[in-house]
Amino acid sequence: MAGESEGDLRLDARLRRLEEIVAALEGEGLELEDALELFEEGIGHVRAAREILERSELRIERLLEEDGRVVLEPMGRDPK
Amino acid sequence: MSWELFHAAELVAGGVGAGLPDPVVAGLRSASSGYAYSVSVVNALAREVLEGSLPPLWVAGEVTGWKRHTSGHCYFSLRDSAAQLRCVMFRSDAQRLPTDPEEGMEVLALGTLTIYERRGDYQLVVRELEGRGVGGLWRLAFERLRAKLEAEGLLSPERKRPLPPFPATVGVVTSPVGAALHDILHVIGRRAPWVRVVFCPAKVQGDGAAEDIARAIRLFGRTRAADVLIVGRGGGSTEDLWAFNEEVVARAIAESPIPVISAVGHEIDATIADLVADVRAPTPSAAAERAVPDRVALGRDLENVRSRLEAAVRWRVAERRKELGFQSDALVDAIRGVVRARRERLLRGVSKLEALSPLAALRRGYAVPLGADGRVLRRVDEFRSGMHLRLRLADGSVRGRLEDVQVERLTEVGDGWGV
Repeated sequence: MAGESEGDLRLDARLRRLEEIVAALEGEGLELEDALELFEEGIGHVRAAREILERSELRIERLLEEDGRVVLEPMGRDPK
Repeated sequence: MSWELFHAAELVAGGVGAGLPDPVVAGLRSASSGYAYSVSVVNALAREVLEGSLPPLWVAGEVTGWKRHTSGHCYFSLRDSAAQLRCVMFRSDAQRLPTDPEEGMEVLALGTLTIYERRGDYQLVVRELEGRGVGGLWRLAFERLRAKLEAEGLLSPERKRPLPPFPATVGVVTSPVGAALHDILHVIGRRAPWVRVVFCPAKVQGDGAAEDIARAIRLFGRTRAADVLIVGRGGGSTEDLWAFNEEVVARAIAESPIPVISAVGHEIDATIADLVADVRAPTPSAAAERAVPDRVALGRDLENVRSRLEAAVRWRVAERRKELGFQSDALVDAIRGVVRARRERLLRGVSKLEALSPLAALRRGYAVPLGADGRVLRRVDEFRSGMHLRLRLADGSVRGRLEDVQVERLTEVGDGWGV
């Protein structure tokens, strides 16, 4: 479904993971080594999320059903 | 009688004239002398007269005996306090009604007067019917559907689903023409250009619009082609927006597995679609703003998250360091404690030792006599005249010879000395 490549985690997944990481780091009972590992992972997500935000091409597709077959075709910003 | 009728018909029809039927052709002759018309001819004649003499009329009255036939035609009467008028509304017109009027409802009907020849009934053929009062039939239809959906629990706040905060794909159901799509694309392009927009065109007004909108919503639901759905159109009249007040649309929204934002023009009160949707937005642009996060705000959030991550790690490291500090301090304290305890014990031993020392007695003024062999002389019998002895005192000792020994005994009591 997602148009991105396989390794490319979606923005919402990254942001959700970031929330978890921040909560864990700000909470209790974490070994320092684990904390450092989480921190590195978190910084990675921040960087990747920033890259997604920089994308400027809005992708638009048209959803159609033709003879019972569902078709998704790219379209421009002008719907006509 | 029939002669008179003929006469009257001739007179009345005088102006209409052209096709006045020939009674001979009609094949009838009165018993007396004149011609007679058949019933069919009379009714046709009367109908022609009636239809030709009055333009279409707006009639105000109260609806009574409304009946929608299976054919789709509707039959009813209009009445006021003194009179009744039979009415019919044929299917082609009746199907445009948002709903059936209620018994006793005040309405305005536009129609033409005619005669239903088969029964000779005089009636109004209604082309348009409007409820009087606020919103009229539209309001009534709206309230009826709302009550129905409410009874089914489809409008309850608990059914409202939260929108995904960061959708990857936004689905749009609206007209391919008109400003709505353009506005939505503009807002998403500005706020969240990484988002994919999937557009399913639908007819949003006119015949079959509601069914088309419902079809598009269900297509999204079936294919899960979006994370959130915007369903709507720009503003318009009540009639233009009516598709969004229809049950098929309401049900498609209620059954959508994808959360729906309704975005139906802002010039009227809520539509049924608005009430069923998970979120109601006043315009398509506002719906797009609700659907996607803003790039700038998200950038700020990310910056905030980054500093929180750093702060949390820094705090953790500092925390560990402090803990380490505490522990090394504790270690030093513990060792110091042990040393101090030992020293105190030693000092206590020394003072005890001192208390027991004979030197203490000597300091108080006693002297210890020692014989020539160095033994302590403890009894008077051990002293002889002329013997050498040494006296041990606190600050040293004195040697000398005893000259004249005189013994004075004390009474012995047990092992010690009694007085």
